[in-house]
Amino acid sequence: MDAPRIVLGVIGADCHSVGNKILDAFFTEAGFHVINLGVMVSQEEFLDAAVESDAAAILVSSLYGHGLIDCEGLRQKAVERGLEKVLLYAGGNLVVGKTPFDDVERKFKAMGFDRVFPAQVDLADAAKLLREDIGARRG
Amino acid sequence: MNGRLLLSVDIGSTYTKAGLFRLEGEELRLLGKAVRPTTVDDLGRGFAEARAAALAGTNLPPGAVPSDVPVYWSSSARGGLKIAAVGLTPDLTLSVARMAATSAGGKVVRAFSYELAADDLAELESVAPDIILLTGGTDGGNSRVVLHNAVRLAETHVPAVILYAGNRKVRDQVKAALSGRDVVTAANVMPEVGVIDIEPAREVIRRAFLERIVDGKGLSRVAAAAGRDPLPTPLAVFELVRTIGERVPGWEDFALIDMGGATTDFYSHTESFHGGDAVLLRGLREPKLKRTVEGDLGLRVSAEALYRSEAPFFESRLGTGGPAMADLRAYAGSVSRATDHLPSDERGRRFDALLAAACVRASALRHAGTIQRVFTPQGGFEVQRGKDLRRVKNLVGSGGYLAGLTGPAVLLEACAPDAADPDIRHLVPEAPACYADADHLIPLLGNLAADFPAAAARAAVAGFKPLRPLPS
Repeated sequence: MDAPRIVLGVIGADCHSVGNKILDAFFTEAGFHVINLGVMVSQEEFLDAAVESDAAAILVSSLYGHGLIDCEGLRQKAVERGLEKVLLYAGGNLVVGKTPFDDVERKFKAMGFDRVFPAQVDLADAAKLLREDIGARRG
Repeated sequence: MNGRLLLSVDIGSTYTKAGLFRLEGEELRLLGKAVRPTTVDDLGRGFAEARAAALAGTNLPPGAVPSDVPVYWSSSARGGLKIAAVGLTPDLTLSVARMAATSAGGKVVRAFSYELAADDLAELESVAPDIILLTGGTDGGNSRVVLHNAVRLAETHVPAVILYAGNRKVRDQVKAALSGRDVVTAANVMPEVGVIDIEPAREVIRRAFLERIVDGKGLSRVAAAAGRDPLPTPLAVFELVRTIGERVPGWEDFALIDMGGATTDFYSHTESFHGGDAVLLRGLREPKLKRTVEGDLGLRVSAEALYRSEAPFFESRLGTGGPAMADLRAYAGSVSRATDHLPSDERGRRFDALLAAACVRASALRHAGTIQRVFTPQGGFEVQRGKDLRRVKNLVGSGGYLAGLTGPAVLLEACAPDAADPDIRHLVPEAPACYADADHLIPLLGNLAADFPAAAARAAVAGFKPLRPLPS
């Protein structure tokens, strides 16, 4: 079977590029076909790329604290664009301030994200979850 | 006599032009040329007349031109090469499909994204394109929509060649769905998100034009007489622009505007994005060599539409609501019907200059990208979209009106003065040297560019007339 295709990028007006490059290298090495859109990616660009490449998942990074507002409505737009089944992951410093991670996770899940990750995470765990989620959704 | 003689002919929608050249080493010299009306009912007649007139117009002694002088030729008669582009998303595969079509010398007569609906198919049948360029999905990506569209296209009765250049994974299925139709295939125009690969599709379009479309346009008899197949005129120009950009020192970054009565073509040869600190490119990275075709910008057939779409520009030059605007409107209306009108008075000349300025400016603004300053928590950044033309050093005008220019003012409208606002800058040329294709050599030398690239490129540049501002 082909390597699962995933779309990767840093959303909004966020220019943090180092983590993005690490994720690209890691997930490629882990056997995924990564479509990396880089930094300052709009919701429309994520969705266009996922439509054209028939991606299994969209991995949204946000490091500058405005993730909540940047990610709002992404799931609904994905559904409108025919991507009902695409997995949505978010990770990084998603919210400014000292909001407990549980609250952040709850908010993002309420917006339709399937998985939410804090700023520090073992990428091997994330890759494992991603593989399982993709398998479950295809199943 | 030294050197080889070569004849080049271009069958345009209105005029058929012919030029006799002598190739001496790496130099092409124009010996004679002629212009005759295009004979739409039988293109071969105008072709033969122009050819004979070009041969007769030289100072060569009778019999000096052998009857088997090689003939290179192009045609844009009978609507040129009409292409309908089908893509998946408007900003990705459809946008790349348009690029492939225009770069192959075609005119995009319709463009569709997502699933084709019954209305779209009816529209396709009514515009009767020569080629339907079917794209969608990256390699291994979305296949559902292109397969749907292939099945829909199989239901239509459009006698077009269907070129499939989408997701490679379902190429065989697409071909099967379209079995019985005239189908050709090429590599995916966008194999990966953001990766543009239009050369293979361009090449297949060129071949399809020769093998299947030439007949339908009544060109096969001309091909038999010429002993050689034609190029679509814009493709000949495209290849000449490439050759000049690659081979003539000082012309690595240049642009050419070819303006006619109905359309304005803009060609650029320059790197589209230069990067640098704190400049980000969003959207597709456009190719170094790019052509855009504006079907609503022209001096005659399109004049009335131009008056409406560019009204703010005309008002900025003539004042809002005054008698001059009403007069321009009347002029635009009359020339859009009297398409062979040539101005005989000052009023007409002034209005033609203004209409031409509007075409030049609008075509440059559409061809060029933008740069926008954005403020982020990490500081100020610049975001570029589209192609950067700021390094364009030379700008050439061709086609009836621009070829006859005597000063640079009209071409300098490509720099779009006053178009920038504080938030967005248009990446138009900044201060190019301006030239006119005064001898109308561009399509003729374009026909020769494939076989004699260095000589054709040099002859073209040598033939451009520099347009210097009048001393004030």
